[in-house]
Amino acid sequence: MRIARWCRITPSSVVVDGKAVSVEGTGSLLLKDLYRKFIGDYPKFFKMDTLCRLGVAGAALLDSPGEPREDRAVLIFSASGPLCNDTHYQKTISEEDYFPSPSLFVYTLANIVTGEISIRNHWKGDTSAFVIPGFDAGEIVASTLSCLADPVTRSAICGWAECSGDDSFDLLMVLAARDEGGLPFDAETLDYLYGRTYQEP
Amino acid sequence: MEELIKNLKLQVIDALNLEGMTPDDIDNDAPLFGDGGLGLDSIDVLELIVLLERNYGIKLSNPAQGKAVFASIATMAAYIAENRKK
Repeated sequence: MRIARWCRITPSSVVVDGKAVSVEGTGSLLLKDLYRKFIGDYPKFFKMDTLCRLGVAGAALLDSPGEPREDRAVLIFSASGPLCNDTHYQKTISEEDYFPSPSLFVYTLANIVTGEISIRNHWKGDTSAFVIPGFDAGEIVASTLSCLADPVTRSAICGWAECSGDDSFDLLMVLAARDEGGLPFDAETLDYLYGRTYQEP
Repeated sequence: MEELIKNLKLQVIDALNLEGMTPDDIDNDAPLFGDGGLGLDSIDVLELIVLLERNYGIKLSNPAQGKAVFASIATMAAYIAENRKK
């Protein structure tokens, strides 16, 4: 199993395959800039919570939507899940101002991010969302390899997508594939890539 | 009515996160749902129901009304003008 492509997104930087991507703004503005540069035709992006925007933007850096395919899995790991959106939703159900927002409510599940990535890209393979205590390269690799053990799945978009605020997020996403070149898909490599937030000189 | 329509458009843009859109981009009579309009979805209509209640004190309790009320900005504004409680 190899890493065909990888990307790293923080509130102030974007790296794809080791090369810095020029972006304008930081935090939520950075995600909007990624939308303009790499997505551009999907207004639903702006209805998503920050975790989903982060995941969809990351996937857009690694691959483009094409024909529907069932051999591509999506696995996302995070510590906070949709907690950031949950706090926004909670404000709409306070006793003083009780107007529950349907559009916020739909993003209060941890696995919505995998669904949004799959829908946008027409990927119909397995999807899984894991809430774990912190970034754990070994867990990401083990779970992804387990998913890829079935005879149908040939590649997976997987990685760490953590969002603790609209301007505070952290993503390492890789395209792991059975038969493509690239870096080895193992815990040591993911740990190394997780530390790469800038282009090496 | 003109002021109501303008405010309503701003509220719809804000409530539905219609990024980059201004009131001038929304035709008063264009369909809100389906082709040729804003292309809103079922979650959006729920958000519009909340908007009516929050901003105008209107509770849309009869689902059958929804299709006519939310046909366009013009139909929404007319319904609001007739039924608003605040």
